[in-house]
Amino acid sequence: MTGAGADISAMRSSYAQAPGHRFNVGDRVAVKSVFPPGHRRTPWYIRGKHGVIERICGAFPNPEELAYGFDGEPAKVLYRVRFTQKHVWPGYQGPGHDVIEMEIFEHWLEPDDRADGDAKP
Amino acid sequence: MSDKPVNKGPHDLGGEAAGLIDTTDHGMLFWEKQANALRSVLSRAGIVKVDELRRAAEGLEQYGKLAYFEVTTSALRVLLLEKGLVTEAELEAKMAEIRRRFDVPDEMESPIKQKAKR
Amino acid sequence: MTKSFDYYAKRPHDHDHDEHTPQSETEGPPSEFEIMSRAMQELLEAKGVVTADQVRRRIELFEEDFPYRGGRVVAHAWTDPAFKKRLLEDGRAACSEMGIELEAERLIAVENTPEVHNLIVCTLCSCYPRALLGMPPTWYKSRNYRSRVVFEPRAVLREFGTLLPDNVTVRVHDSNADMRYVVIPMRPKSTEGWSEERLAGILTRDTLVGVTVPEVPGKE
Repeated sequence: MTGAGADISAMRSSYAQAPGHRFNVGDRVAVKSVFPPGHRRTPWYIRGKHGVIERICGAFPNPEELAYGFDGEPAKVLYRVRFTQKHVWPGYQGPGHDVIEMEIFEHWLEPDDRADGDAKP
Repeated sequence: MSDKPVNKGPHDLGGEAAGLIDTTDHGMLFWEKQANALRSVLSRAGIVKVDELRRAAEGLEQYGKLAYFEVTTSALRVLLLEKGLVTEAELEAKMAEIRRRFDVPDEMESPIKQKAKR
Repeated sequence: MTKSFDYYAKRPHDHDHDEHTPQSETEGPPSEFEIMSRAMQELLEAKGVVTADQVRRRIELFEEDFPYRGGRVVAHAWTDPAFKKRLLEDGRAACSEMGIELEAERLIAVENTPEVHNLIVCTLCSCYPRALLGMPPTWYKSRNYRSRVVFEPRAVLREFGTLLPDNVTVRVHDSNADMRYVVIPMRPKSTEGWSEERLAGILTRDTLVGVTVPEVPGKE
């Protein structure tokens, strides 16, 4: 990857480290392939996709609860995850090093257990 | 595998086919600025949460057919009713009162009204 | 209630004589949604939930203050590399240094380089760092932008007149949770020696979202 990829290992959290965070910067993760009803902040197009933790954002009240008037506690760890566009969109028109990044809550993530040959996004 | 996306809300637009973008910024009408300010005051006061407004917007049957501030206004209405901050009856009455305020005496028919009738 | 010929309808108990703003800048009568919005506000004022003054002050902030902050912050980052580094590490704290208090926003600044071009969207609604940039442009909130920029960013950039060679990585940020984003564009070489104020003048909203790059007037 280009300069965008070289940043990952040097990247630290922008805000206070969330205590008890499951994933670290550079970890390969998969977004859960689940489609529950209700207010979710994980876009439909990224479900089931694989990426890399770019940053730990901190812990925030869960928007899925706040949306219904609850306090969203306990706070959930929020990460930024980087995905390769060619992996996210079959038929992506652009170079292989184009990426898309977004914030995903910890409970939407699983470790990416695929073998190395398949795993490199 | 079903072709229909499961539980994909009308707001979850990333990746949907769509047309050319109107790259001009058309700004905001005064009422839209006021609506935005109202939302901002309410959310800063903790009376409605941004997440609640989003959830209410996503649940609008008309989401795809409404313009941006029509969505936000409808969403706020849903929440104010849900929280009992206003009642349907009060809202209907107030809206009727406001509609009357934009009326003019019949003998002085507003060009605005005339145009609207066409 | 007195009927008047004033087609710019005023609220019956309006004490603000400066409120000369037309009831609608369009040609028609107010829409159902405008009426609904006004009705909700008046009811909430009558119930003491909000005051007209609070709403007015927010309108002013959004109009006169917020839209000018982002350009100032990024212009400062352009002239002060140590500040830029701090902005990249903690956007909110860096803005605070300049006396700019972001409100709910947690800010992430992302930097354009010769290798990487950043582009911001909120596909799910229209999240935007409002306390830094003011209200988002209408295209940012549009269905077509929200849908397409994530899967065909280069085509979208072309629609804005921005052409990027293939060796530049396009890095799209979908602002879908608690973070808000601002792009630090590359500073054009021909702006050497410019004051921060002059630099802020070329840092338009479009450049800070990433759909265009800063233009130096009179230069190609």
